[in-house]
Amino acid sequence: MDRTEGGTFFRGAGLVWKWQRLLWWIFAMSLIFAHLATQGMVERLGQALNHSDASQFFVHGFNVAQLGALAAQPDSPLTSDMPAAAHYSVVFMIFMLFLTGGILATYIRDERLRTGAFFEACGYHFWRFFRLLIYMLIVFLPLAGLGMGAGAMYNRIDERSISPFPAVHFFEASAIVLLFLLVVIRIWFDMAQVIAVADDEKRMHKALRRAFGLLWHNFFSLLWLYIRVSIIAWIFIGLGLALWMLGLKPESNIAAFLLSQLIILIWIATRLWQRASESLWYRRHAASSVPEPVWTPAPVMAPVAVAEPYVPPTT
Amino acid sequence: MRLSSLLIAAAGCTLFCAPVFSQAPPGPLVANRPPAAAPTSEKTLSVRVVAYTIDAKLDATKHTIDATETLTYKNLTGKPQQTFPFHMYLNAFQPQSTFMTEVRRSGTRGNGPDTAWDPKHFGSITIDKLEADGSGDLTSKMQFIHPDDDNAADRTVFQVSLASPVAPGASVTFHITFRDQLPEVVERTGYKRDFDMVGQWFPKVGVWWKDAWNCHQFHANSEFFADFGTFDVKVTVPQNELVGAAGDLLSTVKNSDGTQTLTYHSEDVHDFSWGASPSFTLVNDVWNGPQGPVQIHVLMSPGNMPSAPRYIAALKGSLRLFDQWYGPYPYDRITVIDPPHGGSDAGGMEYPTLITADTSWNMPKGALAPEIVTEHEFGHQYWYGMVATNEFEEAWLDEGINSYTEAKVMNELYGKDTSALNFPFLQSGENGVLRLEYLGSIDSDPIATYAWKFRDSNSYGSVTYGKTATVLLTLEKIIGEDTMRQALHTYFMRYRFTHPTGEDFLKTIEEVSGKDLRWYFDQGIYGTNVFDYRVEDAHSDPLQWWDISHAHPKPADGMYRTYVTVRRKGDFICPVDLEVKFDDGSTATEHWDGKDRWIRYQYDRKAEIASARIDSQDQLWLDRNFVNNSYNEQADERATHKFRNLWVFASELFSQLLAWLT
Repeated sequence: MDRTEGGTFFRGAGLVWKWQRLLWWIFAMSLIFAHLATQGMVERLGQALNHSDASQFFVHGFNVAQLGALAAQPDSPLTSDMPAAAHYSVVFMIFMLFLTGGILATYIRDERLRTGAFFEACGYHFWRFFRLLIYMLIVFLPLAGLGMGAGAMYNRIDERSISPFPAVHFFEASAIVLLFLLVVIRIWFDMAQVIAVADDEKRMHKALRRAFGLLWHNFFSLLWLYIRVSIIAWIFIGLGLALWMLGLKPESNIAAFLLSQLIILIWIATRLWQRASESLWYRRHAASSVPEPVWTPAPVMAPVAVAEPYVPPTT
Repeated sequence: MRLSSLLIAAAGCTLFCAPVFSQAPPGPLVANRPPAAAPTSEKTLSVRVVAYTIDAKLDATKHTIDATETLTYKNLTGKPQQTFPFHMYLNAFQPQSTFMTEVRRSGTRGNGPDTAWDPKHFGSITIDKLEADGSGDLTSKMQFIHPDDDNAADRTVFQVSLASPVAPGASVTFHITFRDQLPEVVERTGYKRDFDMVGQWFPKVGVWWKDAWNCHQFHANSEFFADFGTFDVKVTVPQNELVGAAGDLLSTVKNSDGTQTLTYHSEDVHDFSWGASPSFTLVNDVWNGPQGPVQIHVLMSPGNMPSAPRYIAALKGSLRLFDQWYGPYPYDRITVIDPPHGGSDAGGMEYPTLITADTSWNMPKGALAPEIVTEHEFGHQYWYGMVATNEFEEAWLDEGINSYTEAKVMNELYGKDTSALNFPFLQSGENGVLRLEYLGSIDSDPIATYAWKFRDSNSYGSVTYGKTATVLLTLEKIIGEDTMRQALHTYFMRYRFTHPTGEDFLKTIEEVSGKDLRWYFDQGIYGTNVFDYRVEDAHSDPLQWWDISHAHPKPADGMYRTYVTVRRKGDFICPVDLEVKFDDGSTATEHWDGKDRWIRYQYDRKAEIASARIDSQDQLWLDRNFVNNSYNEQADERATHKFRNLWVFASELFSQLLAWLT
């Protein structure tokens, strides 16, 4: 790690901290969406459980068999809202796709955008990023094929090997490779998004090509930048989950709520950290050749001191 | 036989059995004492109808077995017998068999083949020659029959007629040369890599039962039924293989061709199975019970060794409690085969004195699956092994009763609320798990249904295992837990080494409890009635309600009239107890016969209702819905808040995962 990379890494965190309003905004929206997604289910559950001794199965511990029994009821309060909850998640995904333009504009410009300008940036880049999402899904297809190929190879090794270990180790190795490829694809598309915003690149296939070139020539630098943040995220999320599952008393609902939300907050923060670091990295990398971002927020309309009197047209 | 075996075993144990959990070097499994004596004229544990002598050679590369079998059948039917049916179970693993047809139609017990045919699951048993003393070569007279359906392509049962009938009390000896092709492991048997599990692998004669031959085809949802007798089996395998078998090892001979021949003897059992692999690691232990020591042999597959102490602990606990509660374990050994990774279709199966367990690499200690499987399969030594009921026609008598005793033993050993799952953040007891299984198919079929006539495999599993256990757990409420235990003890002691029926079991419970329980059995065992009682309404009203106003919200005399309405939602009629608590700490207990659709209780007291609850002792496990069994005036929202936390977190997590794509 050279000093520049280290600087990018920490300055990325600094950017997230500096523009933490974004973080809280996303977190709040995530919580609101989740609350809306689950509200119906929770209400029905409350109607069923709040006045019943059966609630005790879930107060002092969490009885899985009783949870299953609750789900097995013909009018179970647990299952009926699942599609609605999934819909909210999809809406949140689209919402995040929309926000990404504004987030990157903020990090690339490193200056406060007014709310109007922020959303203008969001809208300005939305369809570009939507096209990128389609491209990404297309790129995932060969990856899925690779996954299926690995599955077939696993079966082949499992059948031919006299020991179970080679097949299992192959499975583990192929899972790591697939995960690695997923990360690489994510970095590639992250950089394409940064290029789209920083250089106002309208043609996404060109942004992708340029991002690929960047990634090709700076692979380890970008990978390490991304992976470091991911590792930090997984450590904190893992610790948070362990504390929740093993450390908290089963009855500690408030502490559990705070801890669970802290985990989500860390997740969002570290994802923003990755985006901020990538934006910084690109700014530094292209510092000598890239002028000010082409995209600039529309000028704020100055208030007109004296309105022109309206004169109806004469016929 | 038994006493002499125990004396010899005691001496053998002194010499060989000291190291607990010791891991033997690879090599043949050697019994820890000299062989059991050959059958003599002394009183035997069972009425020995059959005597099998089998000489089998395994081709470990092709997974084939070439064998000769000599079967001596003693005609104790009281009638002359000329026609004999035989099971050929391995022929089930063919595309046109009844087994595969049923699998294709409605699945199997959960670890069978896919509904799409896979050639690697092909299995077969072919008879090259069949002779009978006095009748000569009968090979050409073998005739495949299909007593359960009209599937002429099914070859899992054949019959053959002798030249002349066998008189009552006389014997006939068959000489059979056969060849097995094992499938890749499926439905309890087959190979996986270098592992071979050899079960249901030889031509096995049917059972003369209820004045007729009972020899059903092999079905997707059925198991087995056979007569007691003796088994003398020679198994020839490569010298690097470790063998676990359902018998006492009499000798091991190293052959010049790189193979070894192991000779086993077993008696007062109705089946013989074995497994072999060069990758096994042997763990020996011993349980010293009131009847003498029982040798425990555990053959562990690669990667599973951490589960060995767990198997053994569960096995010892089960041996102790079964002996203490239900009756003595009369055999001097129990062998556990741990299938390898990917071979779990061979796991969780019972054979006399041999069981297959199931685990996985890095199985967390809080997940008690290895213990449950071990306990369950050991329990079958009693409910199938010794009390040898007809698994085709009355599967609930082995799987159901065994699931019930599984819950009792696991609860005793690992705690009532933690006997299935025991993590700091998740728990579950066995009773709840079995009830959950029952809820999966609550009214699809009566328990007393032929195994292959259930609606589908889900119904078979749910009703046979889960519902039977839940019916018996609920029966404890009616006759008491101790009486239930005593009834099972009586049933075991009375019917061990015989083929009792469901009615034998139910009558034993009635006899021991001294109660007429037919009303319960008619609904629970023979019916599909749904059990659901609920507290429909519970509230208090001022007695002089007309005096109540905003200024005086409480009645001047402090008197309230409390109503509690209990409703029978289902069609299962059963007496229920109701406990009503008031806010002054007083209580009222009611006993309702449960026959009407509802009943209302009324109380005039200087107190308001605090709670009303059916089944305050948590014994009515058959009740489909526990949530409506109680009403508390004071709401407790802690569970709802916990669910809210979990759901919100899960929803956010899922959203973030999706957002990662953007």
